Amino acid sequence: MTSIDWRRAFGLREAGVYYALLILLGVLAAIAHSRGLPNYLNPQNLGNIAYQASLVGIMGVAMTVMLITGAFDLSVASVAALAAAVLVGLAPQIGFPLAAFAALVTAAAIGLLNGAIVQFIGINAFIVTLGTLTAVRGLVLVLTDGRSLMVERADTLAQMLAFESTRVPVFWPALVIAVALLVLGIVRRALVQIGAAIVLAILALLAGPGLAVAAPVVYLAIFTAIVWAVLHFTVIGRRIYAVGGNAEAARLSGINVHAYKLGAFVLSSVAAGFAGVLFGCRLGAINPTALQGSELTVIAAAILGGTSLFGGAGSVVKTVVGALLLFTLTNGFNVLNLGASYQGLIEGVVVIAAAAIYTVGGERKRARRPVPAEVAA
Amino acid sequence: MVALLSLAGVEKTWPNGTVALRGVDLVVQPGRVHGLLGANGAGKSTLIKILAGAIPASSGTIAWRGKPVRWSNPRAARAAGIATLYQHIPLVPTLSAADNILLEQSGGLRRNAAARARAAAVVAMLGHSFGLDEIVGDLPIGARQMVAIAQALVGDPALVIMDEPTAALAGDERETVYRTIRQLAAAGRAVLFVSHFLDEILALTDEVTVLRDGRAVLHAETATLDEAAIAAAIAGRSVTALARHEMRTPGPVLLEVEALRSPGRLAPTSLSVRAGEIVGIAGMLGSGRSELLHAIFGADPAARGTVTLDGRRVPLFTDEAVAAGIALVPEDRAKQGFVPTMTIAENIALPQQRHTLDRAGETAAARTAIEALAIKADGPDALVSELSGGNAQKVGLAKWLTPKTRVVLLDEPTAGIDIGARIDILRTVRRLADEGLAVLLVSSEFEELLAISDRILILRDGAVSAEIADPATLDEAALIQLASGTRTETGLAA
Repeated sequence: MTSIDWRRAFGLREAGVYYALLILLGVLAAIAHSRGLPNYLNPQNLGNIAYQASLVGIMGVAMTVMLITGAFDLSVASVAALAAAVLVGLAPQIGFPLAAFAALVTAAAIGLLNGAIVQFIGINAFIVTLGTLTAVRGLVLVLTDGRSLMVERADTLAQMLAFESTRVPVFWPALVIAVALLVLGIVRRALVQIGAAIVLAILALLAGPGLAVAAPVVYLAIFTAIVWAVLHFTVIGRRIYAVGGNAEAARLSGINVHAYKLGAFVLSSVAAGFAGVLFGCRLGAINPTALQGSELTVIAAAILGGTSLFGGAGSVVKTVVGALLLFTLTNGFNVLNLGASYQGLIEGVVVIAAAAIYTVGGERKRARRPVPAEVAA
Repeated sequence: MVALLSLAGVEKTWPNGTVALRGVDLVVQPGRVHGLLGANGAGKSTLIKILAGAIPASSGTIAWRGKPVRWSNPRAARAAGIATLYQHIPLVPTLSAADNILLEQSGGLRRNAAARARAAAVVAMLGHSFGLDEIVGDLPIGARQMVAIAQALVGDPALVIMDEPTAALAGDERETVYRTIRQLAAAGRAVLFVSHFLDEILALTDEVTVLRDGRAVLHAETATLDEAAIAAAIAGRSVTALARHEMRTPGPVLLEVEALRSPGRLAPTSLSVRAGEIVGIAGMLGSGRSELLHAIFGADPAARGTVTLDGRRVPLFTDEAVAAGIALVPEDRAKQGFVPTMTIAENIALPQQRHTLDRAGETAAARTAIEALAIKADGPDALVSELSGGNAQKVGLAKWLTPKTRVVLLDEPTAGIDIGARIDILRTVRRLADEGLAVLLVSSEFEELLAISDRILILRDGAVSAEIADPATLDEAALIQLASGTRTETGLAA
């Protein structure tokens, strides 16, 4: 930690997703300018992108923890829809806070179920969560009877909208966080943190003191910060990486591997449940096909952020940047009217290109390593 | 008579500079069973891989039926007529026996009557210990070994190489393998038979070659040898510079194991280790050495029995064992010993049971360990996967060097590492015992066990078969004979 590996810190593998986001924003801004459209990079539009990415971002952060432990969760979108259905269904009777709590407990129960089946019966996580993806979606259909549900009590609806749509002034908090990150980055000699602090400060200063974002963006930021801090500063975080990096070595070091893997499933489902609560609040309503397919966007965001599907590596901050990248693409296509039919094609290519960069970068690094002596034995 | 296979001065040096073979001469005659022996790391596996075409020799000549050859891949060796049975039977468990036997056949159709008839003929010759259409994964291990033998024979090889074919088998299954080997020799084929078991070698082979440190140190007709002579050749002169320590008076009993057992792995075993005592465990591959350590550490979910540390019972879970102060340095470094994506400092800190990270403290601890154990690395931030085997092993040991650790279980801590690292590790083990820890040491390097242990337990077929209270009275050849000599059918049938 005494010396900084500049080439590594700024290499494509470490910082590629940041470059990609900056380049994309630059390109979109240039196109907007050349077509005489209003400034693409205005605070309003950037806030919009963050708002649109917030649900996928929240699920993506938990998914990253999941992938770090070496498991997989396909059921997040269905769980989110179920949580939203529970919220919208119960809120008129028991009030918003209790209904939200019930939604989170429901989600946690499904996570526990997923994890228990994977850990104690030993079925592959891909298969189990593919099953719960379908089954939980089916449960949503049963609960809603196939129709859209709506909250019709005005006071409850107002509470829900307040929870989701309040705009939070973030100019001063952003500056304070930027300074804190800068200090931390300098103390720890972590370039990424210094860079993040500078970008955050520039964004805040450009937007001016009136900067405000929707509440889900703040929830995403807080959740990301907490998970990031746990992963970086606590023994729990180290053990999460160890469980995914080599489960057997972790077990033989006295780590309760089952508990950590189970915990990742519960975290993933609770985060999905929270995303579902936000989704339900956004519209005050839920239709049974809500959020269908977004589990793939969540996983794509984690892959863009460089998380390995084999476990042991990954960064929640980069996953959030990956989510922002995906929603910037969507937003750019819409705002600039670039032909919506190309959108899926380009998103897919971006994901594969990102994975290729990470894999090739990883291989080159491995190739330099000496042959282990064990083969001689 | 032209020899079927003759090797002259075969050497193998690995790209990292490790020398595995230093000039091996070997002659294999048709119609004879040739025994190949040697301690771990003597070069047996390397030699087999070269003969099987899996790796090339660095220098020396190999002649097959009198003509010099150089196989570039296993397929070429098989085409020439050499079939190799590896120790860990590489069969496809989801396919039928017939499919496995015919795995190598070329051609388009899967159902080929002629090929199937050939497989059936081989199986009939072996005595039908399994049905052709049974799924290999469902067969008992003995029958699986026979499938592997049938797979080797279906290509009609002139030489069959068998690497410890009986290590995993029970008594009657072993007999079937012996009978098959005699049949093969009677039919004019040559068999190169690798084994740890001296009784087996004496009963089965016509001639014997012993490897030590990459050289063939003994070649003789089996009839002229006895177990003691072979054991002496395997042991050779002492190479480690470890001075035998003086016996000290060990402290009170620290670790007590009672009736610890695990179905299929370990017969009920009881033992105790005193503070400051090093108890060596000698046994051959498959004797239950690792299984015993894993059971004590709580890493075997099927294990039952009691483990007490200082009078307090330790539940059989790994986190409970670590909390109580029991440490395990596992046998397979890469698979069980470290997390490859983590640095030295992070790996060393892995067993800590605190909740806040103390990076500065961890880096300092890693620096201390790097110095104390002479780990060759760029620093605490180097990835463990970038270290050599010996240095990675030192990291595996370093993570337990905390004041909390009271019992250390070491599983082959010096396997496959160079002599310098080996001595560093053994010195550390010695020091730990001198500081009052209880140590259980499993090692295939018997001279190591003799040099460092206060007491030695001999493990065979998952049970303690003998105890040597005073290792000073024993030499290495005698220990090899005890651990691998005349087999008694006790304990578990695998």
